[in-house]
Amino acid sequence: MTACYRYDGTFEGFLCALAACRESGGAEAEFLRPGAESGAGLFAAGSLDVATERETALRFRERFVTAVSREAFATLRYAFHSEAAGVEQLVWRYVALGLKKGRQVQRMLAQEPVCSVHRLSRRVAHEAHRFTGFVRFREVAWPADGELGGEAGRDRPEVPLMYARIEPDADILPFIAPYFRERLGDRPWMIHDLRRSALALCDRGTWRLVGGVSLAGRPDYTAGEEVCSRLWRSYFQHMAIPERHNPRLQQSLVPLRFRAHLVEFGGEE
Amino acid sequence: MNSLPFERRLEILADSAKYDVSCSSSGSNRRGAPGGVGSTTSAGVCHTWTADGRCISLLKILLTNACIFDCAYCVNRRSNDIPRAAFTPDEVVRLTMDFYRRNYIEGLFLSTGVTRSADHTMEQLIAVVRKLREEERFNGYVHLKVVPGADPLLVAEAGRYADRVSINIELPTRRSLALLAPDKPREAVIAPMRQVSDLIASARAERKKSRKAPPFAPAGQSTQLIVGATPESDREIITLSEGLYRRLDMKRVYYSAFVPGSDDRRLPALPTPPLLREHRLYQADWLLRFYGFAAHELLDEDRPNLDMGFDPKSDWAVRHLDLFPVEVNLVDYEVLLRVPGIGVRSAQRIVAARRHARLGEAELKRLGVVLKRARYFLTAGGRYLGGIRLDGAGLVARLLAPEKRPARLDQLELFPAHADASALTGEL
Repeated sequence: MTACYRYDGTFEGFLCALAACRESGGAEAEFLRPGAESGAGLFAAGSLDVATERETALRFRERFVTAVSREAFATLRYAFHSEAAGVEQLVWRYVALGLKKGRQVQRMLAQEPVCSVHRLSRRVAHEAHRFTGFVRFREVAWPADGELGGEAGRDRPEVPLMYARIEPDADILPFIAPYFRERLGDRPWMIHDLRRSALALCDRGTWRLVGGVSLAGRPDYTAGEEVCSRLWRSYFQHMAIPERHNPRLQQSLVPLRFRAHLVEFGGEE
Repeated sequence: MNSLPFERRLEILADSAKYDVSCSSSGSNRRGAPGGVGSTTSAGVCHTWTADGRCISLLKILLTNACIFDCAYCVNRRSNDIPRAAFTPDEVVRLTMDFYRRNYIEGLFLSTGVTRSADHTMEQLIAVVRKLREEERFNGYVHLKVVPGADPLLVAEAGRYADRVSINIELPTRRSLALLAPDKPREAVIAPMRQVSDLIASARAERKKSRKAPPFAPAGQSTQLIVGATPESDREIITLSEGLYRRLDMKRVYYSAFVPGSDDRRLPALPTPPLLREHRLYQADWLLRFYGFAAHELLDEDRPNLDMGFDPKSDWAVRHLDLFPVEVNLVDYEVLLRVPGIGVRSAQRIVAARRHARLGEAELKRLGVVLKRARYFLTAGGRYLGGIRLDGAGLVARLLAPEKRPARLDQLELFPAHADASALTGEL
């Protein structure tokens, strides 16, 4: 019988599901995020709802890191965030193998499930790296006094807010948020993943993720923002050397699907 | 010069800076000081790519494009009739901060035409970077040009603020430099290069003793030279690069296909820039830095130029067929690196994976090794993967066949963006 674990869709929740599965000694397991249907059909045992507890997740991570390594854990974390179909089962097999074989899992690159996990992990790491370059912040004016209501309006910082939109293939917000916290620590900022309706929020040096977000209206860009994005577009155009014109190469490096949010390609005009 | 509107001056000064090739923002890994803005990553980050396919990582700009020199190849030469403009240091600082905060750029690449004197010009550049670091508390990447002939004290000061400094060698030989850049004696280029190299070495030694010792140009120094404006062979160029890497510990040598921009009679008439030659030189350069090749292995007196139809590693392998095929499960990492089609990443994966399992063709594919070219040079578990006899002519035809080149020779992808392994593979 295939045991079925229902978790909340987060990485932490998934770790808790892995821990629960491990505890019951289950070899065959299925992991379902909210809304997903079991593929086991007739052979499915009743599904089990797993509660997300930070403690459990941390303990499971510690256990895996001790048995295998920090790098292997980072690898499976990237792979999980690919959101590829069936990635949970794949990672589960990787974890089981890791707990059995220890450190040498990292060298078993020519075998399944290791090579698939590594391939997914590389793809996500690559996309996250790309987005350290592709995120475009825009300066947004804070709503006028009163609009935010009493509570929220009171604690408004003096500096403008930086707002960015992205639509990546993988769920990369958790990987790029710490990177931007280090860079733009002196301003409040938010990165909005439109595809997942998720937001990374940073204020006063700490960041967090918020889900289920939608904008009530178009953000109100500052006057300085308009000037700056015009300068950037003009700079971008003047950097190209006509004698070397090569739009095909450009397109392989900046695929069209990312351009809607890139100022220099006329995004969000 | 400064009466033009800001936007117009930005256009002029960006136009004048675009022929400088250096684009990388890698090699420095400074954490942002608390309260400051920005940081650097050792892998470097490309932010966008222009219509010619070159990456933009830094705000590449000149402080002024007015110049007292008259170098024949340079768009900013005194005798060229182009609009001139200048920025104040404050304007450059503001623009850098505005662009950085929006994540358009990784930092600043600042160069300039030479006005008044080398020392005066150098002081202006230093003023910008000092303001950035001390007043704006900017922790991002800064690449500063060193003006040939500037006082050694100023060169030393530049390296204290910047992540990377560079002096362009421009032309491979003394003879060509004297012909095309009569105002720039070779010593004025080589002397500061040597000084920078010494300062980097001694700062590194100090840092080993104490973490508090100030860094000097932690991302190293680079240089660039122009290809195709003068008659030097590829052998002369690659041998020069090898010397720069080995003797001056240069981080990068950039090659720039000459874009004809003047009808100066000292220059050759080229219909288009020699982009394929530039590409082959970069490939050969990579072989020097990451694959353990020496310049004399790639080119010698009988073959002074790189093959345009063939990448230099395949070319070398075809001339050394007696060394192949090699057994993928046995040979050293260094030998794997010499197999055409196998790069640093593939070689590393092979070495890791074969400690655990014997590798056959299927395993190699699962590792992500591309066998298109490599198969002709490999055996896996004793089985030859090429399927044809390893003799010269037929092999060359097979190797060339799949690589159908487009009618127009485009610049190929040199700087793919990748995560952290870049320090090992040389990718940026």
